[in-house]
Amino acid sequence: MNFKRALTVYRKEMLEMFRDKRTIFSTIILPFILYPLLFVGVSSLMMRQTAKLEKQGAVIAYADSVNNIASEIITKQLKEIENFDLIPYSDSTQKLYSEKNVHGIVSVRDSLQKGGIPVYIITIQMDKSTDRGKLIYDKVSGALRIAESDLVKFRLVEHGLSSEIVSTIKVQQIDTSTAQKKLGSLLGAILPYLLIMLLIAGASVVAGDLVAGEKERKTLETLLVSSAQRNEIVLGKYLTVITFALINVAVNLFSLYFSMRSIASQSGLEMAGVKFPTNGFLMLFLALIPLATFYAAILLSISTFSRNMKEARTYEQPIMLVSMLLAMSSFFPAIELNNGLALIPVINISLLFKAVMMSDFQISHLLLTIGSTLLLDIAAIIMTVKLFSNEAVLFRSETDTNLKQLKKNKKLFFTPFYGVIYFVLALLALYYLGGKWQHHKIVSGLIKTQAFIILLPILVILRIGKFNIRETLRLNNTPLANYLIVPCFAISGAIIAALIGQLINLIYPFPKEYLEQMSELLKMPSLNGWQVFALIALLPGICEEVMFRGFVYRFFEHKNKWYAIWISAAMFALFHLDPYRFIPVIFLGVLLGWLLYRTKSIFPSMLSHALNNATALAVMHLSRLNFMKPLISSDENLTWWLAVPALLLLSVSIYSFNIINYKPAETEL
Amino acid sequence: MIEVQNLTKTFLQKDGSQLYAVDNLSFTANDGEIVCLLGVNGAGKTTTMRILSTIFRPTSGTALINGYSILRQPQKVRENLGFLSGDTGLYTRLSGREFISYFGELYGMTKSQINKHIEEMAELLDMKSFLDKKIDFLSSGMRQKVSIVRSIIHDPQVMIFDEPTSGLDILTARNIVSFIRECKIKGKCVLFSTHIMREAERLADRIVLIHRGRLMAEGTLEALRQDTQQTDLDDIFVTYVNRQNMEAEVMNNEF
Repeated sequence: MNFKRALTVYRKEMLEMFRDKRTIFSTIILPFILYPLLFVGVSSLMMRQTAKLEKQGAVIAYADSVNNIASEIITKQLKEIENFDLIPYSDSTQKLYSEKNVHGIVSVRDSLQKGGIPVYIITIQMDKSTDRGKLIYDKVSGALRIAESDLVKFRLVEHGLSSEIVSTIKVQQIDTSTAQKKLGSLLGAILPYLLIMLLIAGASVVAGDLVAGEKERKTLETLLVSSAQRNEIVLGKYLTVITFALINVAVNLFSLYFSMRSIASQSGLEMAGVKFPTNGFLMLFLALIPLATFYAAILLSISTFSRNMKEARTYEQPIMLVSMLLAMSSFFPAIELNNGLALIPVINISLLFKAVMMSDFQISHLLLTIGSTLLLDIAAIIMTVKLFSNEAVLFRSETDTNLKQLKKNKKLFFTPFYGVIYFVLALLALYYLGGKWQHHKIVSGLIKTQAFIILLPILVILRIGKFNIRETLRLNNTPLANYLIVPCFAISGAIIAALIGQLINLIYPFPKEYLEQMSELLKMPSLNGWQVFALIALLPGICEEVMFRGFVYRFFEHKNKWYAIWISAAMFALFHLDPYRFIPVIFLGVLLGWLLYRTKSIFPSMLSHALNNATALAVMHLSRLNFMKPLISSDENLTWWLAVPALLLLSVSIYSFNIINYKPAETEL
Repeated sequence: MIEVQNLTKTFLQKDGSQLYAVDNLSFTANDGEIVCLLGVNGAGKTTTMRILSTIFRPTSGTALINGYSILRQPQKVRENLGFLSGDTGLYTRLSGREFISYFGELYGMTKSQINKHIEEMAELLDMKSFLDKKIDFLSSGMRQKVSIVRSIIHDPQVMIFDEPTSGLDILTARNIVSFIRECKIKGKCVLFSTHIMREAERLADRIVLIHRGRLMAEGTLEALRQDTQQTDLDDIFVTYVNRQNMEAEVMNNEF
């Protein structure tokens, strides 16, 4: 690694970027025009609209069938509403109302006797979908409240009592929030979202240009044959993306700061002793640096993977969407930063911003946020360098499979493209159909889901495509010894998965309702032990293995074994439609995928899957028995020390599988 | 000098099978010699050249560029190698001088070395008038000249040209052809690929014929003519293709 060369790349990229008029316009010039226009323009427009509406007022028809002192009091208040015309109700009023010449109708109905005291029922008719309708409701009901209290006083006086008697409660508020904090909470909600989005937008323009753009303009090859090494090129480009992302944010913050200040001083905030959170703005900028480096790495790897800039744009979309949703967390008043949330990217920065703006944040959160972002950052950067050193990625060629080719070459069916399509369809079927079935009747629903959504479609597809089912699904014989080791493998795997689940529960506690629901689901009071075993362990063991290890794995195995193992495990975990168990299930999926690869047969992984589910069941059912006590802590969790023997047992079983299934000339399966 | 030894490169196909883009290829090119890699489109010329310039890693086999191994000393290989292809793009927002300097700096040259070299080459190729204009505004002939200077800025001993004249007009192509001859005169080792027989006839000292990734024949034009009893390079090429196909048929019949 020669930093001088990385710097050469950086300088050249910066020069090129600064010469690109579009980039300069969108990152530097646009923000300077945008905010003043946005703030000054929109706010003055809004104020004018409201004022205009109030000035316009409304025409109200008034129907009075009471005609006593009460209605006099009410009429008096209604007449006092500014800019409102009060006209008497007549036969033509409803017609005028439908023609919008009368905007509201207020009628006082005859009193309802209750212990001899009259109650007046007043109806307000208006179209509340319009601004004028809302205005009428606000003004009229405001006037009526005054009328009511006047009427109460009048009655008290009539009965010879003091009107003071009804004033039982008087609310006085002491607001400890400073005007500073109020401004902060407003800015804290909007700013994080805005800045994170700007950061991504700024970085994506540059990142897309830097690698996908080079591919498109056919300059990449030239750069690669120069004596610059790949990691030097990546570093130079990476620094360029970060620089531009930060320039973009800085310019935006600067422009935002000044246009907000000018608005604040116009509305008199400055005079009330409120100081604008200048330090906060500075701190935000600093907190954004780790996030900028993180996005720079991600966007650069997308750019590296894409064949051209258009493709890069497409791949950026999901990243944008997820970031948007995460960044929106600052909008929710109830969410506050804690140690768990400080580990989730984007959400942590978003909430940290909010805390900074309200000037109550904890240093530990700041450090956790920066630390976890930097860790992710390093991972993303390593990935980018790896991608950049991968010739298959750098020189990815256009490939598409259409149905015609598929008919000619059946092997083309088992490609990632069709794998993803099949998985998405199955997921939709599970969500809509399976969910309905299971909701209706849990036992038959589970059986139907396993049989008709998970197993049957695969058999049908293999049949239609005339694939050899036995060969495709790897229904192969395997040494007996494998079956003997599977129990150790499955049980230790289940324990570790459970412990991983508990660990996650510590950081992000599962909701109570969720836990109760889960244990209810697994208890199945109407079934006996064997039936529960068949339903929860055996059936999924067979059907889900056919789908994920037998079928889905096939789509991804061409590249290499770990790719297939991880992708099929991730899909397996997604298929459980349960975010809380995602990571433990991925872990199990990887174990099962590896077992399939190792034994070249699906039967051990079926057995392992069934035993794993059975272990989970057993722990739940037997947890109350005496001999299980030492293994289970007070809160129904497994004790942590179980991790040691479980890991040991797992390693021994993996080692044994390796020995049993070792073949001198090993070929990928 | 280029020494290619049993070079093989396979690509994973979508259906899981392997495509042999380069299949056990061996040949050499000496200093002061122009060797032409001749083959139809998809024969494996570009893949071979990308392996030689360390963009791709071979599946097996190796090659030496000026004595440096492409596997173990890729950095040294790139420092001793100039690479130019017909469809190379340029950074259009830079001027020609900036573009060339950028690569000079990447090769670790000093500013004064770079400038001296640029001045010399600009004089030679008559580039003074457009050297400081943005590449965006240059014609394809001017751009090609900038590319030429870029490829030779670090004075490499070995030059590799991948279809250098493809897509160029006659005048621009002539620039390239005379540049290749110039390289030979300076004692450099030149390897260029083409699918145009006439170009090979005119330029090459020796011709390496490849088909479907495999070496079909190698030798001077004269030797190839004698071997096939044909005079025209087109006919020579077809004769070898037929021979290879026949061999393949015999192989198939044997099994």
